[in-house]
Amino acid sequence: MDGAHVTTPDAILDIKGLNRSVLVKPGAKRIIIDDFNFSFSEGQIYTIVGPSGSGKSSLLRLLNRLDERDDGEIIFQGESIDSIPVQALREKIALVFQMPYVFPGTVESNLLYSRSKKHENERNELIDLLNRVGLDEMYLPRNPENLSLGQQQRVALARSLSMEPEILLLDEPTSALDPGASRTIEELLTNLNQTMNLTLIIVTHNFRQALRLGGISLVLIDGRIIEAGPTKELFENPANEQTRKFIAGELR
Amino acid sequence: MIDIGFLEVAIAICLMILAIILARWQRTGTEKELAIGTVRSFVQLVAVGYALEFIFGMENFFAIIGTMVVMMMVGAYTAGKRAVNIKNGSVISFIAIFTGSLVTLGLMLGLGIIKAKAQYMIPLGGMIIGNSMNCSALVMERLYSDISGNKLAIETSLSLGKSWQDASRTYFQRAIKAGMMHMLNFFKTVGLVALPGAMTGMILAGASPLKAVLIQIIVGYMLTAAVTVAGIVAAQLAIRQMFTTHHQLKL
Repeated sequence: MDGAHVTTPDAILDIKGLNRSVLVKPGAKRIIIDDFNFSFSEGQIYTIVGPSGSGKSSLLRLLNRLDERDDGEIIFQGESIDSIPVQALREKIALVFQMPYVFPGTVESNLLYSRSKKHENERNELIDLLNRVGLDEMYLPRNPENLSLGQQQRVALARSLSMEPEILLLDEPTSALDPGASRTIEELLTNLNQTMNLTLIIVTHNFRQALRLGGISLVLIDGRIIEAGPTKELFENPANEQTRKFIAGELR
Repeated sequence: MIDIGFLEVAIAICLMILAIILARWQRTGTEKELAIGTVRSFVQLVAVGYALEFIFGMENFFAIIGTMVVMMMVGAYTAGKRAVNIKNGSVISFIAIFTGSLVTLGLMLGLGIIKAKAQYMIPLGGMIIGNSMNCSALVMERLYSDISGNKLAIETSLSLGKSWQDASRTYFQRAIKAGMMHMLNFFKTVGLVALPGAMTGMILAGASPLKAVLIQIIVGYMLTAAVTVAGIVAAQLAIRQMFTTHHQLKL
């Protein structure tokens, strides 16, 4: 094992030597993720910050296997994700996209979309899901396409929570929303983390948002972690020159 | 029935000359295309006529099969060129056209509705291949544009634990429907608005209208069956290039 890599005992997701590159044109590869090593602990909030094109979104897509890594290990709850059926993995490590997509129908049909098993007291469970994202049962029969983007993102969040995931990956979940709706989502996320002990890995290009979310930040530049640590300390006192530049707004 | 020969065709060309003069007088700008089209279609069709006379004259099963395979290859190449975004589009189209033809012609032969003679196999094969070619090209084009245009919806589905088959079902269905639209519309208007080609040709050649209608019905059902098979095969093969077995979208 990599000498610099330390596995923490309560690691829920352990990543070793992760690499991903894409073929830009025949014979020309572009490195997206470059030897990524990190151990994510259970019940923690992580923010992945960095300029656009640094590989943040690509990293999330590797974790729920929307994309395939070139090499490296991803260990989820002590088990390689390759040994977990992909569809089951995506229920355990759920991904919420930057732009919410709601399926035509009702909020209710969206919340039931991912579930294969039928529950008793279905309706109460759905109301509970809506409450967790700050909506109420009045929304169940509504057409989600008529909701505001912020409300659609909350429906998308509730829809992912219906799978009872262990880890929630969020890819710039508020960058399509106005500041008010963004704050609401931020508060919902910190709340979910505290009440459900849900591990959150949130990609953002906005370090102020990272500060509000708290937890631990990873600074990703050109597919590499250049700095990681408690968010407040990291931004108040960056050890790395590139982190300092990113905070000063010189890296976009 | 009047006996048709080259003299009658030469007289018919007068109609085209009239059309060209009219186009020139009205300055429609189409006279050049009309002239080229007249010569071109004459040469192509007469050449095909002689080729078919030759093949019919041989009455050899392998000559029939060989002719049909060449027709399929040309059709598959044309369909593949139309669906530029599909890798190996020509190969997929060939398999689709071949399967559609094999199933329908095989069934018709097996049930004794037609005989393995050039007189039946070549015209029916030509219609099947032409329609299957259009259908597989349409299916592949539609599948690509729908799936590449709905990445977010598909990946949202996949991220909610759905299989690639479930995540893409709507687009699969839409593509098949687009490929078959021509056939489905044909059913609605046949006999009312348009008299189909095979029927018209038989009536002109002196067959009784009822007999011509019965043959047309058989031809219509056979074409629809062939196009359905070809469309499904083309869609199934093309969609498998867009996803991995790990339920990942590759576009």
